[in-house]
Amino acid sequence: MTPAGLLALLPLICLGAAAVLVMLLVAVRRTYTGAAVLTLVGLGAAFLTLPFTAGANPHRLFLLMLNGYTAFYAGLLVLAAAASVLMSFSYMSNYLQNREEFFILLLLATLGATVLAASDHFATFFLGFELLSVSLYSLIAYPYMTQGHIEAAIKYLVPASVSSAFLLFGMALIYAWSGQMEISRIGFQLRSIQSHAGHQWMIAGLSMIVVAIGFKLALAPFHLWAPDVYQGAPAPVTAFIATVSKGAVVALLLRLFTPADIQTGATLFYVFSLMAAVSMIAGNLLALLQNNVKRILAYSSIAHLGYILVAFLAGGARAIDAVTFYLVTYFIATLGSFGVISALSSPGREMEDLADYRGFSRRNPWLTGVFTVMVLSLAGLPLTAGFIGKFYLALAGVGAALWTLVIILVLTSTIGLYYYLRILVALFVAAPEGLRPEPPFSYSNTFLLALLTFLLFWLGVMPTPIIALIRTMVR
Amino acid sequence: MNILFYLAAIVAVISTLMVILEFNPVQALLYLVVSLLSIAVIFFLLGAPFAAALEVIIYAGAIMVLFVFVIMMLNLGPQSAEEERPQHPGRLWFGPFLLSAALLAELVFVLRGGGGAVLHEVSPEEVGMALFGPYLLGTELASMLLLSGLIGAWHLGRGFRSAHWSKAGEKEEGLL
Repeated sequence: MTPAGLLALLPLICLGAAAVLVMLLVAVRRTYTGAAVLTLVGLGAAFLTLPFTAGANPHRLFLLMLNGYTAFYAGLLVLAAAASVLMSFSYMSNYLQNREEFFILLLLATLGATVLAASDHFATFFLGFELLSVSLYSLIAYPYMTQGHIEAAIKYLVPASVSSAFLLFGMALIYAWSGQMEISRIGFQLRSIQSHAGHQWMIAGLSMIVVAIGFKLALAPFHLWAPDVYQGAPAPVTAFIATVSKGAVVALLLRLFTPADIQTGATLFYVFSLMAAVSMIAGNLLALLQNNVKRILAYSSIAHLGYILVAFLAGGARAIDAVTFYLVTYFIATLGSFGVISALSSPGREMEDLADYRGFSRRNPWLTGVFTVMVLSLAGLPLTAGFIGKFYLALAGVGAALWTLVIILVLTSTIGLYYYLRILVALFVAAPEGLRPEPPFSYSNTFLLALLTFLLFWLGVMPTPIIALIRTMVR
Repeated sequence: MNILFYLAAIVAVISTLMVILEFNPVQALLYLVVSLLSIAVIFFLLGAPFAAALEVIIYAGAIMVLFVFVIMMLNLGPQSAEEERPQHPGRLWFGPFLLSAALLAELVFVLRGGGGAVLHEVSPEEVGMALFGPYLLGTELASMLLLSGLIGAWHLGRGFRSAHWSKAGEKEEGLL
């Protein structure tokens, strides 16, 4: 491995080293604040070394592809992980069992997600996938003495293991047919797949990989675990699953299928269109009758991933821009909503019922304001980042003449307004008697939520700088 | 050669099915051992004797022994001991015995030179060169994966403290 390659690897090395250092710190002396600060320092170091990864000439290290695209997605994932750390700092502070291992697991999960976003080989694809899943099993079950967490962890464990098995079988079939394990080359082979003899094996293998990706992204036929896991997981971990875990898989999806240049009429095109349409419809319709805020957000995230698939199907450079930008706006709004929920929750006391939020605007105008803005951005209202993102998606879809999908996107996001407004109505109606006690003031949460709100408006009013950044880095 | 592969594969499928269908945990474990052995034979037939040896040593050997220990330590009580007593003596060991006898016959046949040569035999040296050459990053990541599993297992397996106090002053009873 050359020195230049090592430099390009620095972000991944920082994440791994931070996990080991936090573990050693915990072994010497248990300090909650120390572990959290060291975790943030590790994530910050990984973020600051990203320019080496993005360096002028792309480094191919056989297993990983390190270029601007990887650097952008890794930066996004690392920042989202840092947001989860800030959320969990106040969330876990009342937890009187061991709390420090939480951060080690969070760092390892982030490492897995970053590897997934950087992977160029089936070996790193699978290892990143597993590292993410295995860390998440324990993270979901972390406050295990309270009810529901173990159940949610099992509900995540079973589909995730099944999807890993599908993934491995799919990889084996593709390798058996093409003799390739490098993702970029497989993508190029896909372009001319119909003309090769025996390409059914390749299609079968790819469908199995798509099943695994569908599980991780909670796309519609594979979404059944999502609401239960979102509800049962601790709120900061839910935020992590909804953002980091999905973002990494989207990065991989783009890397695998962009060179394939999926044309209208190809088998894969129908597979993905069906998944997109069903995700948008099912996600939005099933959210209508939920009374649990975390479940509503789970269904809404299923729908959002469906929207992303529409732009993904449009293909070409504009699709990558649109998907990446939408992912950024989705990250901000999702982290913000779960940030509010976790600011009000602690292990065993999740504030998740819609009824708990009745009259909340009187008691805590600041958190209500943040929550309102985040929910409006998820709904895609103008002035928020969500509007620009959705506009960009629709533009990409229209540009590729995917009329059916774009019409479904517009109609279902209109239906979606209903359940977003239900949250807002609950926030602003008159308060009932017998309220829950207010959470103590927390600097980390206030800082995080203020920053996310600022970003949300900044991207909503002036998206040009970030779009320019995406164009230069991701293409 | 193909026939040998299919034979080992059939043994693998049958024994794995029996792991799921068997009620008695010890008997299910026996079938699991046979399943792992048949995978090892498949590795051997494909020209990877090192992987086959590791499969036997690590999975069928070390990990299975741990499983047996865990089942013994769970100490399931007199009722489950009653269930474990074989109703039909001899039947308990017969299935796994038959399957592993088939595998043994296959192995002896191949070792005596039957079944034709494999295309390329992967030596332990080559495995090591691949793991610490091009796949070095993968090896390092696998160690991180193990670390994650270890920390998770340690945390979740610690059990409950007898009672703990939340800052709100309420007492919440643990399970122990």
